[in-house]
Amino acid sequence: MIAVLNQYIDDIRDNLRLNLANENDVIGELQSHIEDEFQEMRDAGLSEEEAANTCIKFLGSAKLVARQIYEVHSQGTWRQALLASMPHVLFALLFTLNWWQGVGWLIITLGCILGMAFYGWVHGRPEWLFPWRGYCFLPVLVAGGLLLYLPRGWSWVAIVIYLPLVCGLVWSVTVKSVKRDWLYSGLMMLPVPIIIGWFLVAGTEGEFPRISLDYVRHSAPGIGLSFLALAATTVAFIRLRKRWMRLVLLFLSGELTLVMVALYSNGRLSLPTFLLLTLLMLGLLLSPALVDRRIRRGKQPSIS
Amino acid sequence: MEQRLDLMKGSSEPLLLCLIGQQPMYGYQIIKELEKKSQGYFKFKEGTLYPALHRLEKAGLVTGKWQLLPSGRQRRYYYITEKGNKLLEVKRSQWQDFLTAMNLIIKPMNL
Repeated sequence: MIAVLNQYIDDIRDNLRLNLANENDVIGELQSHIEDEFQEMRDAGLSEEEAANTCIKFLGSAKLVARQIYEVHSQGTWRQALLASMPHVLFALLFTLNWWQGVGWLIITLGCILGMAFYGWVHGRPEWLFPWRGYCFLPVLVAGGLLLYLPRGWSWVAIVIYLPLVCGLVWSVTVKSVKRDWLYSGLMMLPVPIIIGWFLVAGTEGEFPRISLDYVRHSAPGIGLSFLALAATTVAFIRLRKRWMRLVLLFLSGELTLVMVALYSNGRLSLPTFLLLTLLMLGLLLSPALVDRRIRRGKQPSIS
Repeated sequence: MEQRLDLMKGSSEPLLLCLIGQQPMYGYQIIKELEKKSQGYFKFKEGTLYPALHRLEKAGLVTGKWQLLPSGRQRRYYYITEKGNKLLEVKRSQWQDFLTAMNLIIKPMNL
């Protein structure tokens, strides 16, 4: 195929954002269509350039074709939606049923999260994997929190080593998710500002990083409720077809959940901290789009 | 052309089902057949064909299968399913009723 047709197919591929199996089917089908039409036009006496441009004109804008196909395939099944919401439900149960105080339950929850993330990873990275994958950062976050309890000098050394490692890990996982669809990175990162919000609220006043377990006990129903809100968001996200609706849903739901944290905190979450958490959430939702743009710009157009 | 598009709204999926019901077809063939059988009246916007076919496939009305041609190329043929056949019968009957009713009202007075 000539360059302009290859570029057209690449543009469609870049905007499809489907799983690999579906993407290969769609691209193969469109390629076959273009080859048939191109050949027919060449047989009718058109030059290569004329034939290629006519094919593109008949098919229409690459972005529009990709968007329409995306909207057919993007809607996950109810089963996928429920599976995707499960890690949030697990955390909601952990707090509402007060299981968070039992080491056994924490180990079971962590085992479930790592197990499901691994299962999804080796089974074609389906849509339901991303929320599970997000929770895999939790042990890393907790390890970072524990570093704060080391003796003062050691704590700084550990943090200097820890931060670049975590940044590298987050970057690598984000890039892998973005390659599939940057919106899924947003879904994966959505709990982060909420969890940080609860950590800040539960910090003993003036002595952070000391956590007041009494306060966590007192706030457990609120914490459970916020995770249930995340679960409902995930179900709605998987069931929606349009990208812009998914993005608006993530932002609105994340913001409402943060408001819920602030209301439960009885003034322990100050306005500047709330605004910083909102900014963090916006950053986590939108920065994958920038990474996506950068990856695409870095791609060389394939010409054969 | 605008008026034609209005008349076609909601009819594209039954048209596709009907064509695929007659024989398994691939995308480009569907466009050509539709144009030929309607004597040029129906010209499917090519970019909208595949989303429509995939919608039918997701609904379980057709199924797509890759076939290897002697030339080594592959084409994705669509086959109507049992569910698709049942829906097609319903749509045919609805369409006949609609046409009869339309003809009763729209036909010239002196006929």
